[in-house]
Amino acid sequence: MSNLGSDPHRHTDMLDGREDHAPGDEPEESAGHWVRNANLGLGFSVVLTVGAFLLAASDVIYPPAIPVALIVLAIAQMGVHLVFFLHITTGPDNANNVLALAFGILVVFLIVIGSIWIMDHLDQNMMPMEQMMRMQR
Amino acid sequence: MLGKLGLSAIPFSEPIPLITSIIVILVALGVLGLITAKGWWPYLWREWITSVDHKRIGIMYCLLGVVMLIRGFADAIMMRTHQAMAIDAPGYLPPEHYNQIFTAHGTIMILFGAMPLVLGFMNFLVPLQLGVRDVAFPTFNSVGFWLTASGALLVNISLFVGEFARTGWLPYPPLSETTYTPGVGVDYYLWAVQISGVGTLITGINIVTTVLKMRCRGMSYLRMPVFCWTSLASCLLIVAAFPVLTATLAMLTLDRYLDFHYFTHTAGGNPMMFVNLVWAWGHPEVYILVLPAFGIFSEIFSTFSGKPLFGYRSMVAATLFICVVSLMVWLHHFFTMGAGAAVNTFFGISSSIIAVGTGVKVYNWIFTMYGGRVRFEVPMLWSMGFIFTFVIGGLTGVLLAVPPADFLVHNSMFLVAHFHNVIVGGVVFAIFAGMEFWFPKAFGFRLHEGWGKAAFWCAFIGFWVTFTPFYVLGLLGMTRRLQHINFPEWSPWLYLSVVGIAILILGVIAQVMQLVVSIRDRERLRDVTGDLWDGRSLEWATPSPPPFFNFAVLPDVEGEEAYWGIKLRAVETQQLAPEPDYRPIEMPVNSPVGICTAFFAAVFGFAMVWYIWWLAIVALVAAFAGFVVFAWRDVHEFEVPVREVARVDRARRAAREALLERMSRHGALP
Repeated sequence: MSNLGSDPHRHTDMLDGREDHAPGDEPEESAGHWVRNANLGLGFSVVLTVGAFLLAASDVIYPPAIPVALIVLAIAQMGVHLVFFLHITTGPDNANNVLALAFGILVVFLIVIGSIWIMDHLDQNMMPMEQMMRMQR
Repeated sequence: MLGKLGLSAIPFSEPIPLITSIIVILVALGVLGLITAKGWWPYLWREWITSVDHKRIGIMYCLLGVVMLIRGFADAIMMRTHQAMAIDAPGYLPPEHYNQIFTAHGTIMILFGAMPLVLGFMNFLVPLQLGVRDVAFPTFNSVGFWLTASGALLVNISLFVGEFARTGWLPYPPLSETTYTPGVGVDYYLWAVQISGVGTLITGINIVTTVLKMRCRGMSYLRMPVFCWTSLASCLLIVAAFPVLTATLAMLTLDRYLDFHYFTHTAGGNPMMFVNLVWAWGHPEVYILVLPAFGIFSEIFSTFSGKPLFGYRSMVAATLFICVVSLMVWLHHFFTMGAGAAVNTFFGISSSIIAVGTGVKVYNWIFTMYGGRVRFEVPMLWSMGFIFTFVIGGLTGVLLAVPPADFLVHNSMFLVAHFHNVIVGGVVFAIFAGMEFWFPKAFGFRLHEGWGKAAFWCAFIGFWVTFTPFYVLGLLGMTRRLQHINFPEWSPWLYLSVVGIAILILGVIAQVMQLVVSIRDRERLRDVTGDLWDGRSLEWATPSPPPFFNFAVLPDVEGEEAYWGIKLRAVETQQLAPEPDYRPIEMPVNSPVGICTAFFAAVFGFAMVWYIWWLAIVALVAAFAGFVVFAWRDVHEFEVPVREVARVDRARRAAREALLERMSRHGALP
């Protein structure tokens, strides 16, 4: 972002504490903290990925429950990515990021669920096949 | 070497496109020759083409939009006159040409006419109204504009080289698949829309970031002018919906180029999925256009009624309501495709409910005028014409939202009348109102009033005479896009609509005359104060035209209607606020990366259309290289010295003091 005299971080101290920052525009963070954070995230996601493969290959848990367990691990994986790599936290500085995420999820939800529902419904107003065959005869 | 491109691509046998092409090429060469002869290239390159100033980019967006509106209007004239001549007669356009014309009309009017104009207004106004110096990503902004221009260029190249799509403005498969449309028309459409879609997305991201992150001090969300709110909502929709369009068209492109089966009948494809996905973008798209239009009207109603906007908070709530619900109504474009009662009912109800948000807005505008001292200037005429036209269009829309009624008039001229009623009455009227309103801000002189009024009345009457017959024709059973008509009973209505288009042509002439006369008389029409309409938001605090840094000192806002508060305080104390402490300002440097990227993107699109693979690869690499060079730049900003800032601002203060004195002498605003 170019420095246009209105960058929030230029006078952060003057603005109220709720002022928000875009990703990449946060106040300087110490390099050590950043590396620790990223490594922690990497560790978690490796554990979750390897865990998913191990679980699918072994019979540690009740076999029919494996798909559910994989879904749980996948959701946990998404959470790890959001928190450690995309820095979505509950901190006061994160309102915009959380709202953007919520809006994105809402849009994806509406379009995906809506499309599935619509496409599933497409033959509802068609003549039953049997009747059509009879008419063609 | 040249792929499918050959001399046969040029339509030598068809006189209409050939002659049009020759005239367009001659005019373009004439303009380029004039610029070269006058030696304007360095100025244009420095001050406009490479500019990253949001105001310049906004003006260029509007210029592009206006040129494309005229192109689309020419298509409209041809369709009206052809249909009137094709009643039990061949007409003058062969079917394959007529089909290209209605496709080009829709594509150009929505994607290359209305969209650039709306984006242009947002670009020009949002930073000024928020009291900041530029958008969040100024160079990115320039890239976005030039990509949109590249898309428009590709569509217009298709007029002389090859052909345009014949599929309607949303190329429904299976018709748009290679089996049924083997030519380059759909490919032109796909690449033009994809390239400009990237540009639109860039601008969307830019405006969202600007509104969320770059407001001046004290400009909290609920103090922003309504135009900023509607721009935010519109750009949120751009960010949400344009990727859907990109993905859908990418799938169609894969079908056409690499024999995929997303939307084919065979091998598990489903053409209906295209219809579903394209409208999942297409419906938000109409709100992307109309929400900023609502913002423009809100500013105008409040300014020319001399009152704050009635129900500001309900206006904001209605905007956000429309923003979310517009993502839940897309099926009403294809009620007849086969969905059952549950789906059709849900989308019918949601389509009716979205009208509630618009209804709230209409009442707010009416109550803003109520009890106000209404000045019937040209922008206000357009706005009042808008209320009348848009409400009737909205009511026929609610009618179409009822699935059983929709089954009767689906794809008929009734539908055509409805959507022109809302898009012309809503978006186009807003664009003309906004041009009249902000033209003095952008160029420093106002537009001629008499020609403006003539343009409004011609457009308003012409609109109704053209489109009312469509409602009748739709109910009589005429479907849209007919190249040949064999019902002589329809002829009176078709002839009436030609009369309407003649009145609309007079309106366009009046608009052009207004511009010509105003430029001729610019000294007499000069706006010396920077606040000629007695404005209420921060753009009127700047001189006309604003300096490239907008504000010498960023404003500190107290309360809604930021500039109105400053003005009242000045009138009360009979003096301006004390002269601030000027400091040097850092502004982003101009950059040619936008035009370079867009140039290579256009070459890439052209190469892909004609299967010139080597050129496509070269152009893609070159476009990317531009970004790489830009990323390694050393100089990001330059400093405007204090002396310059103080000089510009003192001139502004002198003009304001003169205004204040005049006001205290006459006891009223200008």
